[in-house]
Amino acid sequence: MNGWLAAACALLVLGLLPALAAACTGPVLRRVLAQNLTTVLTALVLLLLAQGYARPAYGDLALVLAVLGPAGTLVFERLLAEELAASPARTPFQRLMGLAGTAAVPPVVLALAVVTDPGRATVKLLLTGCLLLAGSAVCTRALTAAWGR
Amino acid sequence: MSPRTRLWVLACGVAGVAALLAVTVWRLPPFGGARHPYGERAVEAALASRVANAVASVNFDQRAFDTLGEQAILFGSVLGTVVVLRQTRDERRVEPEPAGVAGPVRRYALIALPVVLLTGVYVVAHGQLSPGGGFQGGVVAATGLHLLYVAVDYRALKRVRSVHLFTLADAAGEAGYLLLGTGGLLAGTAYLTDVLPLGTFGTLASGGTVPLLNAAIGVEVAAAVVVLLARFLDQAIEIVTSGEEGDRAPGTDGAPGTGGARPAGGTGRADGADGPHRTGRGGAG
Amino acid sequence: MDELPVALALLLVACAGTAAVATRDPVRQSLVLGVLGLALALLFTVLQAPDVALSQLAVGTALTPLMVLLSVRKVRRKARSERREEHE
Repeated sequence: MNGWLAAACALLVLGLLPALAAACTGPVLRRVLAQNLTTVLTALVLLLLAQGYARPAYGDLALVLAVLGPAGTLVFERLLAEELAASPARTPFQRLMGLAGTAAVPPVVLALAVVTDPGRATVKLLLTGCLLLAGSAVCTRALTAAWGR
Repeated sequence: MSPRTRLWVLACGVAGVAALLAVTVWRLPPFGGARHPYGERAVEAALASRVANAVASVNFDQRAFDTLGEQAILFGSVLGTVVVLRQTRDERRVEPEPAGVAGPVRRYALIALPVVLLTGVYVVAHGQLSPGGGFQGGVVAATGLHLLYVAVDYRALKRVRSVHLFTLADAAGEAGYLLLGTGGLLAGTAYLTDVLPLGTFGTLASGGTVPLLNAAIGVEVAAAVVVLLARFLDQAIEIVTSGEEGDRAPGTDGAPGTGGARPAGGTGRADGADGPHRTGRGGAG
Repeated sequence: MDELPVALALLLVACAGTAAVATRDPVRQSLVLGVLGLALALLFTVLQAPDVALSQLAVGTALTPLMVLLSVRKVRRKARSERREEHE
């Protein structure tokens, strides 16, 4: 087991398990925010696993998740608009989840970009990172805006 | 059969399966071991036909006939859904209200849409090289198209999505797979045999028929998902049963007894005499 | 030690699966189902089956929730109008 796999395991235990717990309890707004956080963290774990197993092709999984994850969260945002509007006001915990969804991306992606040989793989990695960042930021904003409506 | 007997029959079945499972698990090779007799042979055959992704070789070369059956299942189930969710005589369509979507979300969706479609094509085209293939890529592309509904507006999706064309594409993909298989027959070997030039290992054009079969599946799956979701969206947004209130207040109803307005569009057809008719509820209130 | 990722992924799937069964409301269940799909994709990846993981991601991320929520919307609308009809 190398450092990348250890990092993936740590992210799984410290990030994904709490996010799962948050997705299973509480008001709908918190659950959807947690679902968004889960997609981002899963994509990062997949990137770390690809590096850990030394199989660059596994990065495609993270790329697909980076494009489909926000679509999934926007599905909830669109079809649960009523429930989201009725959810109680934002708590600091929810703000933290929204922040974690975007803040966790750059360190992982940049660390991986440093060790990847420059080339197409780096471009794909950075593209995945940008898609994750943009998707997560847009979803978090849309969800918190839905609450006010 | 009395409930008691039925329970005994179930118990016999469960006990039998449990016994067989226990015996099988007992004789299984240990988890994650180094010896994979089937895997070694499959990889050997994949390398011989110059397919870098052994799974794609198994799916579209060594076991291509199984995949034909699997995609026939998808084709058939979508066909069944289209029939079940069609517009019946006592249902009519209402025009949905435009949705208010925040500006950033709309902009994100319009930028992300081509990226998602491109990712879908990428996954289909690289099926023989890296994880992925026709099914995965087709679903990704079809999902991407529905960003238009989720983040822009239902009418924007309707404008670019001709269900008729996608139905044709669904059938064309299915037929393409069948016809590609006959290439083997024409060359004098078995159905679905890889008879095309194999190309260079590790390039997009390697693997003979594998990328072509992947493309056929990609077209079929993408079109099938679009048609499937079109029926779901129809039912959830546009079609209302008489007496049921749509997203917008219904207009003038038809005469009582005829069950509201006639079905609009070509999908509605009068169903047979059987089935629960709930006609007349529109004017019964 | 090499099997730690597999063990953790199994643990995540077990937790998400139990949570999905224990959630009764279909709307909330569809959210947990989405998370369960991601956990399954991770499990398939650590078991070195990326093709299966990709299928799971493609279907489970947006397509399944969309179909579940559209069905819920249709059923609820129908139930609401039938309830109103009884009141009349």
